[in-house]
Amino acid sequence: MKYTARWIAVGVAVLLVALVVVFATQVGSDPRADARQSELAGRDVPEFRITTLDGTRLTEADLAGRTTIVNFWNTWCIPCREEAPALQKFHERHADDPTFQMIGIVRDDTRRAVERWVDNRGDAWTIAMDPGGNAALAFGTRGQPETFAVSPDGLVVGYQFGPASVEDLETLLLAARGRVTP
Amino acid sequence: MSDDRVPAARTASWRSWAPWIVLAVVVLAVIVWAAQPSGAPTPAERARALAAQLRCPDCESLSAADAQTSSARAIRRDLRARVAEGQSDATIRQAYVERYGEAIVLEPERRGLGLLVWGLPVVMLGAGALGLALAFRRWRRLQRRHATPDDEAIVREARRDGPTL
Repeated sequence: MKYTARWIAVGVAVLLVALVVVFATQVGSDPRADARQSELAGRDVPEFRITTLDGTRLTEADLAGRTTIVNFWNTWCIPCREEAPALQKFHERHADDPTFQMIGIVRDDTRRAVERWVDNRGDAWTIAMDPGGNAALAFGTRGQPETFAVSPDGLVVGYQFGPASVEDLETLLLAARGRVTP
Repeated sequence: MSDDRVPAARTASWRSWAPWIVLAVVVLAVIVWAAQPSGAPTPAERARALAAQLRCPDCESLSAADAQTSSARAIRRDLRARVAEGQSDATIRQAYVERYGEAIVLEPERRGLGLLVWGLPVVMLGAGALGLALAFRRWRRLQRRHATPDDEAIVREARRDGPTL
């Protein structure tokens, strides 16, 4: 009992250090640091239902049998505008490949703005609206642009957070074809 | 003589502890009363509570209940639909963790290292209370010292000889 106060002080100091360690490693971490990777990687493409600009219904089943690049975007986001030329160039390279398809899913934008954008730029890949944000939610997106590579057997095999370059898109495509790990 | 003193000391000890015991009982009663659920929550309340536990994925440090982004609105709609389907809170939270990772949950999990975040403040509070109790006990044990006639004489002497202002 002679050193009770000292032992209590040591105990409190140990607890304080433990608390600091826990806060530093667990609570203090930036949640957006996780944005660079997708929880979907290596898993089945999630269920979704979207409607293309020409009125065609698309679901996850429509991705089967082809390598698919899914790009979430909208017309008002600056990084999406920066990414647009790369998407166009990449799509032109592979447009004739029957085993390839690219789908742009619009997050949080109006149909009118999207139609005007597509008409002006001449984007030739499939563009679909996601008015309720359900597809964006199903893919676990955190913003836009975000790009997913889906293999012909329906696995999400690659992910790009933020604007993708042509090289990034080629790497994603190779991953979807099972040739590299992005 | 000593037989009379022991019950008197005990009574005094009880009297000194009584306010603390009453305070502890009142605090406990208030905590228990405040923690009582006020009836079963409605589906809308459940969805709102779940949204408050989830981080808005495309904004900084806001819950899906507070944020007004398209993701937050989609999450709120999805939560209402899942609650209406009869999914449990744990199932719904797990679905979001599988989609977004642990970072989507605002509160740390009550297991593993997350348990420390919840438990340590309580332990610290207990340790602090114990330390205070021990300190009070020690201070009470210290006998009060009174100046002896000799001490008072020394002080008088010092005052007489000291500088005057």
